[in-house]
Amino acid sequence: MKKSALVFLVLFLAAAFVFAGGTQEKKTGKVKITGPVTIKFWHAMGGSRIDLIQGIVNDFMQANPNIKVKVQYTGTYNDTLNKVKAASKAGNAPQIFQSYDIATLGLAHSGIITPIGDLTKWDPIKWDDFFTPVRNYYTISGKHYSLPFNSSTPLLYYNKTFFKQAGLDPTKPPATFNSVIELSRKLKASSLKLKAPITWNLHSWYFEQFHCLMNAPFVNENNGRGGKLPNKALFNLEPGQKILSWWSGMEKDGLFLDVGPGWANHRAAFGSGDVAMVMSSTSDVNQLTGLLNKKGWEMGTGYMPKPEGATGGVAIGGGSLWITNNHPDQELLAALKLVKFISSDGPQMKWHKGTGYFPVRKTAMNKLKAEGWFKEHPNFLTAFNQLLASPSNNNTAGALMGPFPEARKFIQDAIQKTYAGTPVKQALDEAAAKTDKAMKEWNEFYK
Amino acid sequence: MQEERFPGHKLLPYLLILPSALVIIIFLVIPFAQTIFESFFQATPFGTHKVFVGIANYIQLFEDMDYLHSVIITLIFSAFVIFVGLTISILIAMLANQKIKGIGFYQIALIWTYALSPAVAGTIWAMMFAPATGIMPYIISKLTNGYALNWMTNSSAALFIVSAAATWKMLGYNIVFFIAGLQNIPQELLESASVDGAGPWSSFFRIKFPMLSPTVTFLLFVNMLYAFFQVFGLIDIMTKGGPGNGTQILVYKLYQDGFVNLKTGFASAQSLVIFVAIAILALFQLRIATKRAVYER
Repeated sequence: MKKSALVFLVLFLAAAFVFAGGTQEKKTGKVKITGPVTIKFWHAMGGSRIDLIQGIVNDFMQANPNIKVKVQYTGTYNDTLNKVKAASKAGNAPQIFQSYDIATLGLAHSGIITPIGDLTKWDPIKWDDFFTPVRNYYTISGKHYSLPFNSSTPLLYYNKTFFKQAGLDPTKPPATFNSVIELSRKLKASSLKLKAPITWNLHSWYFEQFHCLMNAPFVNENNGRGGKLPNKALFNLEPGQKILSWWSGMEKDGLFLDVGPGWANHRAAFGSGDVAMVMSSTSDVNQLTGLLNKKGWEMGTGYMPKPEGATGGVAIGGGSLWITNNHPDQELLAALKLVKFISSDGPQMKWHKGTGYFPVRKTAMNKLKAEGWFKEHPNFLTAFNQLLASPSNNNTAGALMGPFPEARKFIQDAIQKTYAGTPVKQALDEAAAKTDKAMKEWNEFYK
Repeated sequence: MQEERFPGHKLLPYLLILPSALVIIIFLVIPFAQTIFESFFQATPFGTHKVFVGIANYIQLFEDMDYLHSVIITLIFSAFVIFVGLTISILIAMLANQKIKGIGFYQIALIWTYALSPAVAGTIWAMMFAPATGIMPYIISKLTNGYALNWMTNSSAALFIVSAAATWKMLGYNIVFFIAGLQNIPQELLESASVDGAGPWSSFFRIKFPMLSPTVTFLLFVNMLYAFFQVFGLIDIMTKGGPGNGTQILVYKLYQDGFVNLKTGFASAQSLVIFVAIAILALFQLRIATKRAVYER
């Protein structure tokens, strides 16, 4: 009897010692990968990008033989979020997943992630090296939440050959709202057989970006980037009305053709010569150049047009990599090492060349410059210069709000309603009221 | 006392139904119970914690103008799919049930739409009607001297096109059943009717249609389920519920709220409301059908 009690006591002490050791290790911030660690990485990049990402991860595994990464393409951003949600409920969330920009505030408060800023004590990341707009988007109240990965902005693409045929200067794409209208009128009156002079896909993203260009907030509480959760939409005020009046007015005059949601129709219309100008993501440079080349047309690019006198700049869009919580420290460290590797120069240059997304680091950009990459591909340079010309503040960093996906739907509905004759202010007020309600409901949980 | 079917093996019958019972319990009963449970809660987007809200989700549902709009859209859409679809199918089935050369080829050609996945069917129609590059706007503009059809800005056109696509996709299935039903009608009935002087109209309305009524009842039900639930893929590919909610049928609204806006409770409540509506309609239909349908010859 006495003997067993003694054994028990020894075991208890040993256990206590081990646990104490564990917590001590965390406090000093020292974690080391001792044995083989396996982590999962879910992403939302389909097509040829699946192999590209796998290639980057393979390079990482070669450099870190202790870490095994299982990469999985999990459908769209939205599908991926739902799968992460289900997996994290079941307790087997991937250590790393990719999400879109607008889920940022939602994920920051989700309770399922570890902010990257909390992990970098183990393996610091040189944030100064990232492009400011790219870095700003994923920073809330000074804390880094996720690692910028695939970054893009809108860009104006135009058919230089058509510009020449219509007697316009092919080196001068329209830079302002009025010049878009003016050039569109000329293109429409020309002998070109266009369905419409300009198009872009139905997406609230452009409406948001025009706010950034006008240096106008989209929601209150410092565009959602202050300490407090935003609870009032501001996109129904004067800037929003100005944008939508221009947009919807061009549709009524037959200058702009709405080809609906999705990312295929507007590209196809530009490629087939049914329109002379298109707005789309900077990650489309390769694809659109190819489409026009096939027809023997020359393509040019320009900044996203601004309203007259606007002083803002574009905000970064795209996606970032998130690390989840409730994993052993070694796995979290492995995840951190992987995202750090993906953001480093080599992989970023590979990624940029393969997709057209921006490299996120200045050093990667400088190496591309030195290689002469932009001489061969001047359209990528337009995209860069546009981003770098953007001033840095809360409005141009892009808005954050909890129910952003819902708000986007309301805004897109409002845009479509104006085509059918609803006055701009009324449509936007309605969307803003619905967004306010959605934000109020969402904020309830996080008081 | 009932006679034992498996003397000496009392547990055997239970063992035999266990696999199917398990499948039903795991994939139908438990999720259904969970849906009912969730519909009384509001949860954080990632489900980290939830609050009991009673019937607040249901109240919110019926105060939501967008939801009521979706109800109307769904009714128009399903009425089109069911009635236009069944009418066209029965006409085609009559034509495809004649004794002509190569009828097997025609029959197969007519039913292949059913073999397409919703994604493929949706893509075909979306490309056909694409505002800038589609063939249909081109043809329409040639025929009408310049009318530019854009279903991405015209919600009535969008609803019509989506309904037409959904009907087209289901034609094959309906036609198969109608052909089978027509082939089951005994020839003597039709022959004696024609001896009595019945023309094609009266032989259709007095003999063929009544004899087909079990098929019609069955297809009404299947088409209703189709129009309510299975067209999700088609809508998602073609319009995403737009323009301006113009094609947002109930099941698409549910998807939006549940899987885009991550409001599990609200979406669960919607799912239960659809379930109850469908259950009532189905019971009603069965009632009428068992009274009216001619099951015996």
